[in-house]
Amino acid sequence: MTVLPVGRTLVRLGPVRLVVRHRPIVVGGILALLLAAVGVLSLSLGTPYVAPGDVLRSLTGAGTPYDLVVLDLRLPRLVLAAAVGAVFGIAGTLIQTVARNPLASPDVVGITQGAGLAATVALTGGAAASLIAPAALAGGLAAAVVVLLLGLRHGLAAHRFVLAGVAVAVALRALTEVVMLSADPVDGIRAQLWLVGTLAGKGWREAGYLGLTLLVLLPVLLWAGWALNGSALDDDTARGVGLRPVARRVGLATTGVLAAAMVTAQVGAVDFVALVAPQVARRLVRAERPPLLCAALVGAVLVVLADLAGRRLFAPTQLPAGVLTAAFGGPYLIYLLLRGRRKVS
Amino acid sequence: MLSTRDLAVGYDDRTVIDGLDVDLPADAFTVIVGPNACGKSTLLRTMARLLTPRRGTVLLDGAAIRDLPTRAVARRLGVLPQSPLVPEGVTVADLVGRGRQPYQRWWRQWSPEDEAAVREAMVLADVDSLADRAVDTLSGGQRQRVWIAMTLAQDTEALLLDEPTTFLDLAHQVEVLDLLHRLRVERNRTVVAVLHDLNQAARYADHLIAMRAGAVVAAGPPREILTVDLVRDVFGLDCVVVPCPVTGAPLVVPSLTSPSLTKGSPCAAESSPFSPSPPSVPAA
Repeated sequence: MTVLPVGRTLVRLGPVRLVVRHRPIVVGGILALLLAAVGVLSLSLGTPYVAPGDVLRSLTGAGTPYDLVVLDLRLPRLVLAAAVGAVFGIAGTLIQTVARNPLASPDVVGITQGAGLAATVALTGGAAASLIAPAALAGGLAAAVVVLLLGLRHGLAAHRFVLAGVAVAVALRALTEVVMLSADPVDGIRAQLWLVGTLAGKGWREAGYLGLTLLVLLPVLLWAGWALNGSALDDDTARGVGLRPVARRVGLATTGVLAAAMVTAQVGAVDFVALVAPQVARRLVRAERPPLLCAALVGAVLVVLADLAGRRLFAPTQLPAGVLTAAFGGPYLIYLLLRGRRKVS
Repeated sequence: MLSTRDLAVGYDDRTVIDGLDVDLPADAFTVIVGPNACGKSTLLRTMARLLTPRRGTVLLDGAAIRDLPTRAVARRLGVLPQSPLVPEGVTVADLVGRGRQPYQRWWRQWSPEDEAAVREAMVLADVDSLADRAVDTLSGGQRQRVWIAMTLAQDTEALLLDEPTTFLDLAHQVEVLDLLHRLRVERNRTVVAVLHDLNQAARYADHLIAMRAGAVVAAGPPREILTVDLVRDVFGLDCVVVPCPVTGAPLVVPSLTSPSLTKGSPCAAESSPFSPSPPSVPAA
């Protein structure tokens, strides 16, 4: 018998020894299947309707009359939706863990507002469409730098990080309103639309950027998965066992805000995904912290579903995915509040 | 094994310790006592490199602790902070396993040594039967033994504990202190603890350090240094010191401040401050 906590197995790969938790793997597998199912559904629903069988034939390259609809029109948006959800899920997990708060997310710590202000300035200032995303990225990153610098004075302690984020977010939102109100009304509405966050009219290019982001972040994420384990300990205890809690927090928070800025720049603020995905994943896995991979999968499922619902619910009127995720998010927060008193054992 | 040279520590604009030289003997149970806010926890936390001193150095076997990698220090020095935050839903075995952190890397997460050390730590602290329980469902005494097991799993020569008995009832206090005593006697660990209770300090300590206002007033074996004068000096309290009927260690009994506390007991007059010669240990 081993003293490894129940539900974990030691995996030996040559000199490498990894402790693998069973539950995240099972849950992750189920989520991957669910994502595939929701994906096929998303490819088949719409006008025209494509039977799931034809969707699969198109995907495998068998060639159907629906190739254009499935592969060129719907697939890019589906892949983008999944990528957006995954990156938001990862960003939310990292930010919530550093903030030690299930309510923290990119829009609480000011990233979304930074990207929003920059995009609004660019949109109302008559910048070329191709400049909107880079501007938003720069804005999100600038906000992230300010928040990290403000939070760093006390070692990026949880409350400090959240307070700095909230302060920056409020200031940036006010500035955005000023810019929007003083701009030409048509530009103002365009900016408003951008802020809500939508996948309409976007596809491979944006998905490509997010894929690249994930690729660049992958080694960091491998480290983060291990580093998150130590983050449940308080700073003194963590130092006692030889960890460097401040360095870890800065590393995890930086990775999180980078990911959040990147995804917000591409699609705008798809609200609540970064907030909800880590907590849903945590409850599914029953761990003391949100698991990275499962949170990414939950995020992907959520955004694919939200985008599908936005396309079909009031068809032919299309709702931005961000509106749908926000509509799901409100009730979820109420649910969190209601069951907050009960102890999770 | 641990010592400080010209140590100065403070928080923001308040200086707690200024120019302190202390030497903690190896293979001994050292207890630090003193009134509230005298800097005893600050000293312990600085020696455990949880606080960075403003000036001066902490030496671990002669080497400045801040020059050593924190993981290397964590393999030689275990520390239990005053009230560690219990992670929600973490099991006992999981938490004790985190004591192995200084020996692990992400590509080497669990070795046979980790396994052996965690098992031994849980047996030693008598929490092996709780292995699969969530720590936040345990009683205060059990929880404290789990935290001690975590620092034991670190397999260090020295163990620093900041008020390990606070918030525990008397039986659990004795249980924790007995465990620390066993570690010192049976495993030759160096144990350093901050305690509030002078009598427990005298009962368990090989080496007692009495602090007041950031300075060491006296240091040495309790039987030699724990006197009426020291208690008055350090705590500003009049007392009598008698030999403990169980261990023979000095037992500090505060003097009467109000005669109505005697409850009519005949022996009360003997130990009142008005008695001509209060018994004191040591007789010297």
